[in-house]
Amino acid sequence: MKKRMFIVLALVATLVVGLSAQKKLTVWCWDPNFNVYAMKQAALVYNKTHPDVNIEVVDMAQDIEAKIISGLQAGGAGLPDIALFQDFRIEQFLQDYPNAFVDLKAAGVDYSKFAAYKVGPMTVGNHVYGIPFDTGSTGLWLRTDYIKEAGLNPDNYAGKKLTWSEVIKLGVQVKAKTGKPLLAYQSDNFDMLRIVVQSTGGQFFNTDGSLNLRSDAFKKSLTLFKELNDKGLLYPVVGWSDWINAINSDQAAGFLNAIWMVGSVKSRPENAGKYMIIPTPKIEGVPGASNASNNGGSSWYVFSSSPNKALAVDFLKSVWATTTPDTLAFYNDILKGAGAMGTYLPSQQGSNYTARDSFFYKNQAIYHDFATWMANVPVLRYTPNYVPMRDAVAHATLNYFQGKLKTVDETIAAAESEYKQVMGQ
Amino acid sequence: MAQRGTYQRYLNRFGWFCVTPAMVLFSLFMLYPIVSSLYYVTRRWKGMSNTFIGLGNFVRMAHDQVFQGALANNFIFMVIQIPIMIFLALMLAVLLNQGIRRFRGPLRLAIFLPAVTSLVVVSVLFRVLLQQNGMLNNVLLDAHLITTPIGWLNDAFWAKVTIILAMTWRWTGYNMVFFLVGLQSIDTEIYEAAEVDGASKFRQLFSITIPLLMPVILFSLVTSTSGTMQLFDEPNILTWQGGPANATMTAALYIYRQAFFVNADFGYATAMSYVVVLISGIFAIVQMRLLGERKAK
Repeated sequence: MKKRMFIVLALVATLVVGLSAQKKLTVWCWDPNFNVYAMKQAALVYNKTHPDVNIEVVDMAQDIEAKIISGLQAGGAGLPDIALFQDFRIEQFLQDYPNAFVDLKAAGVDYSKFAAYKVGPMTVGNHVYGIPFDTGSTGLWLRTDYIKEAGLNPDNYAGKKLTWSEVIKLGVQVKAKTGKPLLAYQSDNFDMLRIVVQSTGGQFFNTDGSLNLRSDAFKKSLTLFKELNDKGLLYPVVGWSDWINAINSDQAAGFLNAIWMVGSVKSRPENAGKYMIIPTPKIEGVPGASNASNNGGSSWYVFSSSPNKALAVDFLKSVWATTTPDTLAFYNDILKGAGAMGTYLPSQQGSNYTARDSFFYKNQAIYHDFATWMANVPVLRYTPNYVPMRDAVAHATLNYFQGKLKTVDETIAAAESEYKQVMGQ
Repeated sequence: MAQRGTYQRYLNRFGWFCVTPAMVLFSLFMLYPIVSSLYYVTRRWKGMSNTFIGLGNFVRMAHDQVFQGALANNFIFMVIQIPIMIFLALMLAVLLNQGIRRFRGPLRLAIFLPAVTSLVVVSVLFRVLLQQNGMLNNVLLDAHLITTPIGWLNDAFWAKVTIILAMTWRWTGYNMVFFLVGLQSIDTEIYEAAEVDGASKFRQLFSITIPLLMPVILFSLVTSTSGTMQLFDEPNILTWQGGPANATMTAALYIYRQAFFVNADFGYATAMSYVVVLISGIFAIVQMRLLGERKAK
């Protein structure tokens, strides 16, 4: 009898100890080399002062938003404490699920220290809901070995603010000599078109949220894409993984995308010394066009349904939004470790921001360059309907490339029509 | 007598006791969603809020060319893929049953295996094979069968071909197993009698095997039809979200995207699934009528 009592007591004791020690936070995000890595680093920083908190970072590849929507519809069941959202997706969630996220401005986060263009999408009225994470400052990534093979000197292009017609000239020559198309291009995807349109300062939506595809900037961008396509300067692939694969198997002489590609490019040792990154090319004849743009970028959000939301907020605030030496060192570390450039402005004084990177052609100081270009990035208006717009435009563009749509105007009309049908307008 | 009545009552109660768990689960996860979907259908959903719009979702469908295009794709896949697959499955079953004596087991396994493999894994391999510079294009180019690489995933026409190939690869073995079982139930005496009468193997196939297999073929046809109406995995993963430019968009995938990506409009998504269920039902009835009668003759 005594023995049995003892066993029961022991069980209860372990349970109690287990529960009290189990202060656990769950974070959902994607990309093990980037977001997951950064969040795990953040967890290490937090564990220095809070060793009893177990932060589990889950890598959710494709269906993270679908899983979150299911959880939100179920009143918060099965959701993590913290999740990462793409900046272009969050407005839809804030609109559709007004009470689903914790207001972090009310929780005392100082947003004046974050890049303003990141705070816009997460703001509704007087409430701000996220912790801004990475920037998507873009550049033109070029393989210097292919440029040399084409009989050109990469140094003539390094750091130059080129126009698209100069880039096309370069591309034609590289293609003629090496057979490599200049740019690896995801033909089902909107990213590259978005980079170009945003660099002109153009918008896909009007201020009232209605579709705006008839701008001069958009038409000129489409015309440019058609030219790139018709001259064979695009290497078309379908899907993200195939695109990475094309880049890391030497199918093209470069690509146009953001700073967060550093991790993927570095994941292949043979790329060492080959890449240089020059400013995003500019479209001629569009007033306001610049040599800077943005693609992607995400931010962290806390669900109001989380039972540990106070802890989650404290974690995000103390690791991601304070000027403590630990936080600044953390931002500096993830920049070097994964090319993850935060948008917390006080962190941009870190030593890695100006350091040269021996992985790139002639030890280019890529982070310094990306940070410089970031300052000139025009703000893009996402609205809650970014996804259907993006899909409709990508579909129409592909049909334009393949000759099913003949002119820019037809392409725009097709995109508008698909958008209206999908939206049920 | 009285005793027997008690036993009957006991059996009756015990029967109910046994089916209760199943009934509870069925009501919870099948009956309740179906009944509650009637409510969803009449509403326009937006996140946590929704408004009554009557038959508005069906009006919207009538104007939604993406949905209509998706349904048309379902029909194309159905009309082309199912006959090819059933024919192949039948031939393979006959071969394995009669023609081939050695390695029957390993062959059967090899042909059935695709049906139980994870499509996500397979799609990754398929995509590597089918890329612009993938193995298939390289082999075809080296054999001088084509002069320019085929856009298996890029081109609207070839992406459809890719889907049909992938579906055939995945489901032929599955259907073959049904045919094999069916063939084993056909009495060998019938074939012997036909042999004596001087019927060729070909004649035996068309006059004995296929007519006697008709119930199994009908079963395959009906399940494949409803399976094709629900086609989701292949266009979502293999041709990437119904690409290129909605060329392989299917009804099920569009419903999923409307609910979870584009609008979070569960009302519209539910209304569209009603239409899909209705069409599947009509197909099943038509097939059973047509083929069922022929069997009776």
